[in-house]
Amino acid sequence: MDKFFYLVFEGVKNTWRHKMTALTAIFSLFIALYIVGLMATAGNNSYKIIQYFRSKYKIEVFFNPNISNEEAIGFIHKIKKIKGVRTATLIDKDDAVRIFNDQFGENIMDLLGYNPLPTSAVINLNKNTKTTMRVEPIIKEIRAISEIDEIRYQGNLIRKIERNYKRLADNFPYLSGIIVLIATLIIYNTIKLSVYARRETIKTLQLIGATRSFIKMPFLIEGIFLGLIAVTLVFPALFITVEGTNYLLSHFTSFNFKVGFDSLIYIWLLFLVFFISLFGSYRAASSFLK
Amino acid sequence: MIEFQNVSYTHKKGYGINNINMSIDDGAFTFLIGPTGSGKTTLMRLIYFDLIPDNGLVKVNEFLSNTMNYKTIPKARKKIGMVFQDYKLLSDRNVFENIALPLHVIGFNIKEISDRVDETLELVGLQGREKHFPYELSGGEQQRACLARAMIKEPDIILADEPTGNLDPVASFELVRLLETIHETGTTILMASHNYNLIKGRGLPIYELKDGVLRIR
Repeated sequence: MDKFFYLVFEGVKNTWRHKMTALTAIFSLFIALYIVGLMATAGNNSYKIIQYFRSKYKIEVFFNPNISNEEAIGFIHKIKKIKGVRTATLIDKDDAVRIFNDQFGENIMDLLGYNPLPTSAVINLNKNTKTTMRVEPIIKEIRAISEIDEIRYQGNLIRKIERNYKRLADNFPYLSGIIVLIATLIIYNTIKLSVYARRETIKTLQLIGATRSFIKMPFLIEGIFLGLIAVTLVFPALFITVEGTNYLLSHFTSFNFKVGFDSLIYIWLLFLVFFISLFGSYRAASSFLK
Repeated sequence: MIEFQNVSYTHKKGYGINNINMSIDDGAFTFLIGPTGSGKTTLMRLIYFDLIPDNGLVKVNEFLSNTMNYKTIPKARKKIGMVFQDYKLLSDRNVFENIALPLHVIGFNIKEISDRVDETLELVGLQGREKHFPYELSGGEQQRACLARAMIKEPDIILADEPTGNLDPVASFELVRLLETIHETGTTILMASHNYNLIKGRGLPIYELKDGVLRIR
């Protein structure tokens, strides 16, 4: 038992003995884990972001001027049944006058002596679809309804947003895989360099009769310890980044969007660094043992 | 017991030792002399199984070179203490920690380690130096710390490879005297040196290595 505690203690002590190497390793680990954490946070929020944009998608439908309110309500019910439509709100001719008055400060009835504004509807789309949202089939179905004079929607913008989201969603697993791989390589090489700097120590330990496990154990403990220090520093850094982003979004942009932070990312990073450090130190120490 | 039976070893660069037969009894104090490059270190490395012979058999206690592997080598080395010309003290640990290291390897408890280190420090004349790091010691003191590390586990054999190579004459004589003291406890000692003046006239067996060939002087 004394031997086990000695080896654990040695692992921790080695971090202090080699402060500069440890600092360099912690810094590299910190950068790698911070990037992985950011990627995970971005991935976690990407669906929320697209939901936010989708909630802003709007289709405006203008009915023929001579349509009655009852007929328009009937058409609104039809529109609501179209797949992908979340809400459809009727704006009758009187509502249109009111909106005009609110926006321009003039009563159009006083200006023209009659109400030229048509009955219309504002349609919002379903924001919760997991796949790419396609607005054209919805437009086609609305267009098929008679008594519709004009349809206005931000077709190009919606297409661009959806296309980019699809691209991101399709490539995200590969991108995160590459980033995790790069982080693993950085962590592995950092630990390997730190072990390489002490290859003479390994040789001397071998000469005085130390077994492989006796030599490796402090390196494993040290590697895990360095990883834990780095991940402990990453937690507040990610938290500050998320809170800072939310502050910037709310104070300097018109986006009504809050970046969320899933605490599971912390646990995931903890496991990641534990296994990479363990694997990295084991491989590195083994490579210097004949 | 150290025994060499027709042992040959050639390094990649061509030098080494050739067809050596040698036997050192338990408790003997033996010198190995020869000029630089004659094969003294190669012979020592064969004893602590850092090298495995190309031909022949090395026998150290119950360990045979032809059966050694990474599991048995540490076991064999636990019974061998080594003293090196360049000390090989761990520069990031103080004298106490360096000397205590072999006991940690064997698995002694903390109290026992502390007591043994104190005793050994006294024996080699390094009391009060336990908190010093190797770079804070003189060459002679570093070599005594190295010797303390070799003897603390009470090995059957101590191999000293050019232990006086970096020491002045006074420190060299002191070190040989220390080795003689350890020998009195029954430890087998093999000391390699190229300094014949240091070892002559002691009435102890001397092997001479020249161009990889061994003879008794």
